[in-house]
Amino acid sequence: MWYLAKMIRGMTIEQAIAQLEFNDKKGAAIIKEVLLEAQEMAVKSHNVEYKSNLYVAESFSGKGQYLKRIRIHGRGMFGIMDKVYCHYFVKLVEGVPPTEKPRTGFDQAKEYVQQLRNRTIIHSL
Amino acid sequence: MSVTGLLGFFRRSFFHLESRILQAIGFNSRAVVPALSVQGPGIFPQPHRNEETEEHSFLDNMFWMAAPKKRRTIEVNRCRRRNPHKLIEIKTNIEPCPECGNLKQKHVLCGFCYEKVRRETAIIRGQIQAQEGKPLNNPAVETVVLYEGEKPAATDAGKRIVERKRQRPSWFTQY
Repeated sequence: MWYLAKMIRGMTIEQAIAQLEFNDKKGAAIIKEVLLEAQEMAVKSHNVEYKSNLYVAESFSGKGQYLKRIRIHGRGMFGIMDKVYCHYFVKLVEGVPPTEKPRTGFDQAKEYVQQLRNRTIIHSL
Repeated sequence: MSVTGLLGFFRRSFFHLESRILQAIGFNSRAVVPALSVQGPGIFPQPHRNEETEEHSFLDNMFWMAAPKKRRTIEVNRCRRRNPHKLIEIKTNIEPCPECGNLKQKHVLCGFCYEKVRRETAIIRGQIQAQEGKPLNNPAVETVVLYEGEKPAATDAGKRIVERKRQRPSWFTQY
């Protein structure tokens, strides 16, 4: 679930729904349903004009209740099996998704040099 | 919770089972405990020493297994789990279907159009089944599907005709 949430972070809602439709994971169908419901809610009650003018600002999953069960192995051995549940949270924001400028090596070098230049002697005259 | 009681029962039953298995093999627990509490003459321990070395090699064979030395920290676990090769790749081969407008993959048939055709053919198959009556009763001729207001053409002379009470769908061409 986390991998799906990570995949759609920062995508436009149309792109996210397209990717989830052709993903084979069980969580993909669930997240797609959630996104469609959120889109509908946005248009109906949150004063959003165009339903495709949304993008995924935040998307994450959290641990839910775990039910413990016994998984029987051979030779009288047993393991404790967890029946896993999780929560999924998504926040849609109206507008175009913000593009993050990729930090080049040159930018990193510039920052490093600036850090060196900022060094000073504290408590001096 | 009954889970802890069950766990205790299973633990005890496993240890009992293990001791029974070891007894059956011949590895008796009384031989593990060093019996040489009293210093005996040098000649005696010979057969005893052979037994002990056999038991040691038996122990080596059974209990020398690989095990992790330290707990993997969450930072190390995160590095492994979030490595780019483990993340899901974005698909670039998704496009809209020119017929219905739903999304489809480039090398795969559109799911919506396929479902539409599947439903129509299921109805036609039902009608053919009703016409035939029992299984494996199909005539040795071709089949033609005719919709509302269509007459069998000259080329459809000896063929089996299946009638459908609706307008011909646009995707089912007649020729």
